[in-house]
Amino acid sequence: MASFQHPIQSLELVKRQSQGLSNVLVASAGPHIYSYAAESGQRLDVWPQHVETSRAAASGPTSTSEDQAPPEKRIKLSSPETESEGKPSANNALTWTNIPMVLATSDGRHVVVLTAEDKCIRVFSLSEDGKFKELSSRNMAKKPCALDLTPDDQTILCADKFGDVYSLPLIPGEYVKPKTQAKKPKPVATTLTVHSKRNLRSLEQQHLHAERAEKAEKVQEESEEKGVLNFEHQLILGHVSMLTDVIAVSLPGAPGSRPRNYILTADRDEHIRVSRGIPQAHVIEQQCFGHTSLISKLCIPSWAPNVLISGGGDGHLLVWNWSEGQVHQSVPLGDSFQDAIISGIWDVSFDQSAGTPGSINIVLIGLEGSPQLLCYTLESDNTLKSQGVIQLSGNVLDLTTLDSNGSIVVSVDAVRAPGSTDTWKESPASAQILTECLQISITDGGLKWAVCEDSRTACINAGVTSGLSATLDAKQKKAIDDTLYNLGNLRKRTFDD
Amino acid sequence: MDWASHYPAFVDPDASNINLGGTRKLTKDVEVVDIGCGFGGLLVGLAPLLPDTLMVGMEIRVSVLEYVRSRISALRLKQQALKKIAATSTTTQAPSDTPATPEVEDDEVGSTTTIVPGNYENITGIRANTMKFLPNFFGHHQLSKIFVCFPDPHFKARKHKARIISESLNAEYAYVLKPGGLLYTITDVEEYHHWVLRHFKYETVEGENVADEITGGIRDLWELVSDEELEADPCVRVMKFETEESKKVTRNNGNKYVAVFRRKADPEWPA
Repeated sequence: MASFQHPIQSLELVKRQSQGLSNVLVASAGPHIYSYAAESGQRLDVWPQHVETSRAAASGPTSTSEDQAPPEKRIKLSSPETESEGKPSANNALTWTNIPMVLATSDGRHVVVLTAEDKCIRVFSLSEDGKFKELSSRNMAKKPCALDLTPDDQTILCADKFGDVYSLPLIPGEYVKPKTQAKKPKPVATTLTVHSKRNLRSLEQQHLHAERAEKAEKVQEESEEKGVLNFEHQLILGHVSMLTDVIAVSLPGAPGSRPRNYILTADRDEHIRVSRGIPQAHVIEQQCFGHTSLISKLCIPSWAPNVLISGGGDGHLLVWNWSEGQVHQSVPLGDSFQDAIISGIWDVSFDQSAGTPGSINIVLIGLEGSPQLLCYTLESDNTLKSQGVIQLSGNVLDLTTLDSNGSIVVSVDAVRAPGSTDTWKESPASAQILTECLQISITDGGLKWAVCEDSRTACINAGVTSGLSATLDAKQKKAIDDTLYNLGNLRKRTFDD
Repeated sequence: MDWASHYPAFVDPDASNINLGGTRKLTKDVEVVDIGCGFGGLLVGLAPLLPDTLMVGMEIRVSVLEYVRSRISALRLKQQALKKIAATSTTTQAPSDTPATPEVEDDEVGSTTTIVPGNYENITGIRANTMKFLPNFFGHHQLSKIFVCFPDPHFKARKHKARIISESLNAEYAYVLKPGGLLYTITDVEEYHHWVLRHFKYETVEGENVADEITGGIRDLWELVSDEELEADPCVRVMKFETEESKKVTRNNGNKYVAVFRRKADPEWPA
């Protein structure tokens, strides 16, 4: 029985020139992260290495060396047995099935990933030869929806489903739990503060409950322990709506003063908020109003920190002068993309080919469940100019630049039919495409691109990721679909405010 | 937002002056907000005190809001009728000279027998989920007063995130309040009062007071208003004694805990 491979969900180029090392590409697929040499596409490492050893013993090591091994040998993490248990309970089984976020510090020394189901933020150091070493794992209480690093790389910002943004030090120090006297939950209402008969009755219940709780104090303590995070973290700001993206950015300050740090947050309710950076994140500087549906992505191009490009489910890209809260430009995506939800906004900048000054500043837009990338250039007046649509072989999942010569590596979904988020292909292709290489250049003032053969992506594609059974039932497939395509669920079904 | 339909007496006479939504602009901005206005008692009580200030109550329960709206339009109509009578009858001030109508055991506030300043034209109610959409209605530094009166206590710890006072919401209140503006809170639940103080960093988890000089965090933005100042503030009196909820608490011999915070100017950027 042939099986699919997990497509690459998240891609990040780790730039390490400052360390005098060659760049590394980090990718997540299924429950694993992989590192590749950016120059060759050669796989360097996989994490976690030894999972489900009992299972692995039967079907050979999950090692990375045997790049060409047939997919049959791969371990099916989502095999029916595991699924039927509901939760993987074996002590060596993984507590997650996918890794939706991968980011790297700007010095290229650390990689931060989020493992989905266990809501765990994991920090790795990347060795000289591209090997992962897990430094910390911190389980958040609520599902993280977006992560970013502050401009100084010292702090992780975690925006969660409940609308809160927490700051966590990149490298956790020794954590001293704040002393909290285990306070017994005592009803705070009194007969003076409740008025209706029903409330009075429930108050009586509460008193009863409190008495009982006193007897079973131990149990109480345990349950209290559960919700408490045992590492340093701080709530720095909050929306009353699920957050979808967070960006930390720094603008040059007034002459002679320090750069000013900001945090931008977007939520499911059309809000974009501009707050000051830590430690003044409670000072809201602007609210950017303009979207008419959920916002899914924010992007501040690296070369234009005063510009924000945002998109979501309303068929428009908005270009903002964000520090003023002003919409600078509204770009309709076009009739054929009216109902699409933007799944990615990527800023890509290249040095122009020899002879011409300046650089190419491109903004690529990915749409959920679409094999097309919308290509724009950001002009010198900070407006977006459409450069057409790039067609790929499968739904675009993520992309990152590969080098400074105009090569972009795009991860595509070879499991589902292009253009669909839930229709699986009949059978796996013999050689499954994980990534494609997009080559961008400028000729005669126009922008040219080609999806081309490239030895690096070929090498990445040859090194298979973990397998994904082709014979799952509809429910299992749906669960896996939802790990890659979940923005559609954010749409509100009814207009309730 | 079509404010013109809410405040017909304050519509800009220049019909060409319209806002983005295509509706007529007002001669002034809304400046006072009652979050969770309930049956609108506070608005009605405040209306004659601040006759030239536009005030809005925000309420999430549709039927309650409907009541508020009809109550206000009834009061406005009554005022118009009274004005007509006053104009037709001789200029004697007879009605207001009669001893104030004994406001018996009635919860109703708002005068139906005398002409009041502002004629209740300066108050209205809108339906909104304030926790989510407050900044959609008001701009940066637009408001001068926000009231949070007898908020839903959400007694269960699990429900505490639904409380209308929290550090993250306080940051939003600071965004819409102008420096010097006031945020009024009143509750009959002692624990909630401490919750409020705690979330403005005026009290620690252990219930100890935090020294006044402390700054940093949310304390950069708010200062607690002194008791003497509260004594002198007529809005506090309305909040304490004239709303339906406050009368209910009085009847029940409950306690009332007031805390008012003044919005400070934004702190300096870190140098």
